[in-house]
Amino acid sequence: MSTYQEYLKGEREQTWRAELRKMTPNKERTTIERVKMPELDPQIRIHYQDREVNLGLTAEQAVLEARRCLDCPTPTCIEGCPVSINIPKFVKNIERGEFLEAAKTLKETSALPAVCGRVCPQEKQCEAQCFYTQKMKKTPVAIGYLERFAADYERESGRMSVPEVAAPNGIKVAAIGSGPASLSFAGDMIKLGYDVTVFEALHEIGGVLKYGIPEFRLPNKIVDVELTNLEKMGVKFERNFIVGKTASFDDLKAEGFAAFFVASGAGLPRFMNIPGENYNGILSSNEYLTRVNLMNAASDAFDTPVLRGKNVAVIGGGNTAMDSVRTAKRLGAERAMIIYRRSRDEMPARVEEVHHAEEEGIEFINLTNPVEYFANERGRVNRMRVQRMELGEPDASGRRSPRVIEGSEYDIDVDLVVVAVGVSPNPLIPSALKELKVSRWGTIEVDKESMQSSVPELFAGGDIVRGGATVILAMGDGRRAAAGMHRYLTGDQTSNH
Amino acid sequence: MNQIVEKTWFSDKVAKIVVEAPRIARSRKPGHFVILRVDEQGERIPLTITDSDPEKGTITLVVQVMGVSSAKLCSMNPGDKILDLVGPLGQATHIYPAGTVLACGGGVGVAPMLPIVEGFKKAGCRVISILAARTKELIILEEEIRRWSDEVIIMTDDGSYGRQGLITAGAEEVIQREKVDACIAIGPAVMMKFTAQLTKKYNIPTQASLNAIMVDGTGMCGACRVTVGGQTKFTCVDGPEFDAHQVDFDELILRLGGYRDEEKHASDCKCNSHHS
Amino acid sequence: MKANLTTRFFGLELKSPVVAASSSMTGNVDQIRKIADAGAGAIVLKSIFEEEIYHQLQEELSRRNEFLSDPEYLDYFDYVIKDESLRKYVKLVSDAKAAAGVPVVASINCATSNEWMAFAAKLQEAGADALELNLFVAPSDYGKTGQDHENFYFTVVDRVLRHVSIPVSIKISHYFSNLAGMVQKLSQTGVAGISLFNRFYAPDIDIAAEKVVAADVLSADNEYLLPLRWTGILAGKTACRLAGTTGIHTAETAVKFLLAGASAVQVASALYQHGPAVVADMNSGITRWMDEKGYVSIDDFRGKLSLQNVGNATAWERVQFMKYFGEKEF
Repeated sequence: MSTYQEYLKGEREQTWRAELRKMTPNKERTTIERVKMPELDPQIRIHYQDREVNLGLTAEQAVLEARRCLDCPTPTCIEGCPVSINIPKFVKNIERGEFLEAAKTLKETSALPAVCGRVCPQEKQCEAQCFYTQKMKKTPVAIGYLERFAADYERESGRMSVPEVAAPNGIKVAAIGSGPASLSFAGDMIKLGYDVTVFEALHEIGGVLKYGIPEFRLPNKIVDVELTNLEKMGVKFERNFIVGKTASFDDLKAEGFAAFFVASGAGLPRFMNIPGENYNGILSSNEYLTRVNLMNAASDAFDTPVLRGKNVAVIGGGNTAMDSVRTAKRLGAERAMIIYRRSRDEMPARVEEVHHAEEEGIEFINLTNPVEYFANERGRVNRMRVQRMELGEPDASGRRSPRVIEGSEYDIDVDLVVVAVGVSPNPLIPSALKELKVSRWGTIEVDKESMQSSVPELFAGGDIVRGGATVILAMGDGRRAAAGMHRYLTGDQTSNH
Repeated sequence: MNQIVEKTWFSDKVAKIVVEAPRIARSRKPGHFVILRVDEQGERIPLTITDSDPEKGTITLVVQVMGVSSAKLCSMNPGDKILDLVGPLGQATHIYPAGTVLACGGGVGVAPMLPIVEGFKKAGCRVISILAARTKELIILEEEIRRWSDEVIIMTDDGSYGRQGLITAGAEEVIQREKVDACIAIGPAVMMKFTAQLTKKYNIPTQASLNAIMVDGTGMCGACRVTVGGQTKFTCVDGPEFDAHQVDFDELILRLGGYRDEEKHASDCKCNSHHS
Repeated sequence: MKANLTTRFFGLELKSPVVAASSSMTGNVDQIRKIADAGAGAIVLKSIFEEEIYHQLQEELSRRNEFLSDPEYLDYFDYVIKDESLRKYVKLVSDAKAAAGVPVVASINCATSNEWMAFAAKLQEAGADALELNLFVAPSDYGKTGQDHENFYFTVVDRVLRHVSIPVSIKISHYFSNLAGMVQKLSQTGVAGISLFNRFYAPDIDIAAEKVVAADVLSADNEYLLPLRWTGILAGKTACRLAGTTGIHTAETAVKFLLAGASAVQVASALYQHGPAVVADMNSGITRWMDEKGYVSIDDFRGKLSLQNVGNATAWERVQFMKYFGEKEF
C-alpha cells in the first residue's frame, strides 16, 4: 500500500470519522435525495454581469448532502480529482459541522478551493467516480457544491486558515503566468520552503480566472481572496512583467532563479480564416471576455469600450462559447445565439452551463457552421452566411464528424460575432527559448510525470502543454510540476503526494 | 516605479513624458512599444518608446491627446505614477546599412520614427527625413530628428511651416532626384497607405509601423490583427512594423474605426460629468 | 527551320506543350527545378487533398487521447490542421515559383465544395499563376442521381471562379453518361482549360492474402487511348482549350494528342519512371517530328486530325468491334 493510501486509511480510522459513520446507517444515507443548488431567477440574472447564478448551499443543505457520503473504504472519488483532494475527509467534516476544518482539508491540496467548487466539471471527475454513480447508478454526492460551501464559509467567516509553510530553504524559483497552474504550483512550492515569484504579463493576477471566466460564474473578488492567501504564505507576485521581453531567462538566472515553471497559457486566439472575418464587430472570445471581465468594459465608469449587439452570434460549443454568449445576453442582446457545428449533446460545455444558458434564453443553433461574413458600408458586420451540417462517421476522438450538407446555406442577421473555436498556446516563451522542445502545434513538450521540459531547469504545465483544457487540469499540472521541480532541485527521489 | 520624472508640452495637444522604468529601459530597442494603464478605470493603450536611458532607468513617450485615455495621461505631471506599464513589446526594427533611407513621419508618427532614424544613421546610412503635419503646432521633435539626418524637409498642409503640401509630394521629389534604397513611413494609416503606394511605384522597400487598436498587447486577444500579404498577423507580436507594400491598409483603416461610436459616447459621458 | 514549341494552356503562354502533372514529384522543390530546367512548359504542383487533411486530423486526435485532452480544444482542431496544410502549401507555391522560372499551377483536389474557396484565393495571393481543380467523386453513392453529380462540378467551378482572378482549369474523369455535352458545358463556365482525364487510385485484389489492395500506381502505355479518343471528338467543340493526360510516356504519344486537338499534355508516370530527362526527350522528339514534317509552330498542326477537321465520325466515335468486321467485304 502506498504512503498516500496509508495516509487515507489512517485518516479514515480516526475516532470522529468512525463515530460519524456509526451515527447514520448507510441504508438511510442512500435514501436522501441529492440537494438542488438554489439559483438566481433567469429573468433577473440576465440583467447583471456580476451576480452569480448559483447561490450556494445553506449550512443545513450542506450537512444533509454530506450525510449522503458513505465514507467508502476505498474512496474512488479521489481518483477522479486531478489535484487529489481528500474528499471524504472534507465532506465528513461538513457533516459533523466542522466547516472550517473542511476548508482546511481542501487547502491541504488545492490552492483555490472556492474556484474549483465553482468551475470544475465535477460531473466528469470526482462525481463521476462516486460510489453512487459507479455502483448504484444514482446521482452522486454533490462534491462540487460542498467544496464551494466550505470555501465560501471560511471566507465569509473572516477566519481564513493559512496553511503551514516550511522554513525558507533559500532557493528561488519562478512561475511564469499567474493562472491556475502557476497558482497551484506556487502554493505547493511555498509550503516546501521555496522563495517563489510569480511573473504575470497582465496587470491583474489570476490569468484565465480573471479575464476569461465571467463574474456570474466566478467573481474576481473571490479569486482575489485566494490570491491574498497565497501572498500571506509568502508568494511574491510581479505584475506587468513579460519574461522573455521585460527581462530574459538569462537575466532572471543572473538574479538567482534556479528553476522556472512556465504556465503562460493558451492565450493565442484562433480564428476560422473564412472570408469577412476581419470586419468590425467580429472578435475572438479572448478579446470579448477580456474587455468585459478584466477591463469592466460594460460599465460606463470604466474607459475600455466593448461592442454591444442586438443580434449576437457566438461560434463554438465549449465553456468559453457559453461564457461569451451569456455575457452578450447580459449586455443587452435581443438574440444571443450559439452556432455550433455538432449536435447539442456533443457540445463540450458543462451540462450545467448549457442548462443555465437555455434558461436565460440563449438560442442554440446546432449542426451549423459559418462560411462567410458580410458588412455594412462602415465595415461593421451585419450578416453571416452559414451552412448546415450532418453528422458522419466518428473520428478518432470518438465523436461523429460534421459533414457539410450541400446547398444548405442561409443567412443570419448579426451585428456582433464572437469566435470561440478554441485557443492555441501563446508563442512568446517558446520563441524566446530556441532550445525548448515544442510540438508542431506550439505546445511545450514535457515528461508527463515530472512536467520537466527539454530544458532541465524549465518545467511547464497547463494550457501551454495541453493546448486548451480546464482550470483543474492546469492545477493538477502545477502540483505535479512542483513535485517534479522539488525532486530536480534537491535530488529527492521520494514521491511527493 | 512608473513615476513620471519629466513632462513637456510640444503643443497644446502633444506632450512628451519621461517615466521611470528601469527594466524596460534596459531591454528596449528601437521599434519597441509599451502598453500602459493610467488608473484603475483606464484603458490599456499602446505607445511607442521614443527614447530610453538605461543608466537613468527611464523611457520617453510622446503622446497626442485623441480621446479619454490619452487626455488622462497628458494631464499627469512629474511625481504622478502610472498605475500599470508593461514592455518592451513588439518586434524591434530591423536596422541595417541600407544606403540612402527616406524616413517619412506624419504628425505624432515622428515620435516612433526618431529612434529608427537614429539607428539607421548610426548604421552608416544617408538619412533624409520628411516631417509632415496639418499645421506648424503639430510638427514635433524637429531638433532631435535633425541631429540624426543628413537632410530634413518639413511639410504642412496649411503652409504655416516649411513647405505647403502633402508628405507624398515631398517624398516623390526626393525619390526623383536621388536613389533611395529604403523607406520608413510612420503616421496616420491613410498617410502610410499613400506613401506606400508611392514607393511601390519606384520599387523602394518600405516599412510601415502600424497603429492598430490593442487591448492586451501580448498576442492574446487578436484585436490588433491586420492582413499582410494575405495572411493574418498580430500587430502586437508580429509587428508593429511590416512590409508596407503587403499591408492591407484599407482593412486597417476600417478596423481603426471599429469603436468610434463607443469612444464618442465615452467622451460625451466625460464631458457631461464635468458639467454636472 | 527550327520548330517552335510554344503553346497556350491554363490561360497562359507555355514554352512547351509538355507539362508536369500533379504528383508527389511536383511537391518537391528540387525536382520541380530539375523538371523546369529540362524544358517543361509548366509545373502543376502536388494536389492539396481534403482527404489527406482528414487523415492528419485523425492521427492527431488519436494521439491526444493519451494526454487527457479536452474536447473543447479538439473541437475545431481540423481548422488548425487545415491552416497548417494551407500554410505549407502556400510556401510550396512561392518556393516553386522561385525555383522553376516557368508557370506554376496550384492544384486542389476537392471532395466537397465549400471550404476550398478561401484556400483558392490564398493560393492566388501566394503567387500561383493558375489553379487546377482536380474534380472527381466516384459515382458510387446510390442515393445520388446523375444530375446531382453533374451539379457538383458546376457548383465548385462557379464558386472558385468567383473567388480568384487567376486562370482556373479543371481535370476531370470520363464518368459522365453525356460526356461530350458535359465537357462542352463545362468549357462554357469560364474555365481556362480542361484536362482529359484524371487517373485514379484503383483497387486491386491480392488473391493470396485475400485482401483488397492498391493497384499499381503508374499508368500503362496504352492508357492514353481513352483520353485520345475524347480529345479528338471534343477538339474545336469547346469554349476553352484541352489537354490530354494519362498514359503519355513518349514524344510520339504527345504528338498524337496535339494532332487530335490538345494544346498540351500532362505527364506524371513518365517522370516517375524516367526522371526529369524525359521532358527534354519528349521536347526534342516533338521538335524532330515537326522539323521532318515542316511544321514551324504547334498551331500549324494542332487538331489536324480531330473529328471536327477530319470529318470521319466513324474513325473517332466507333465503339463496336462488330461494326469493324461489318464493314469488311467478303
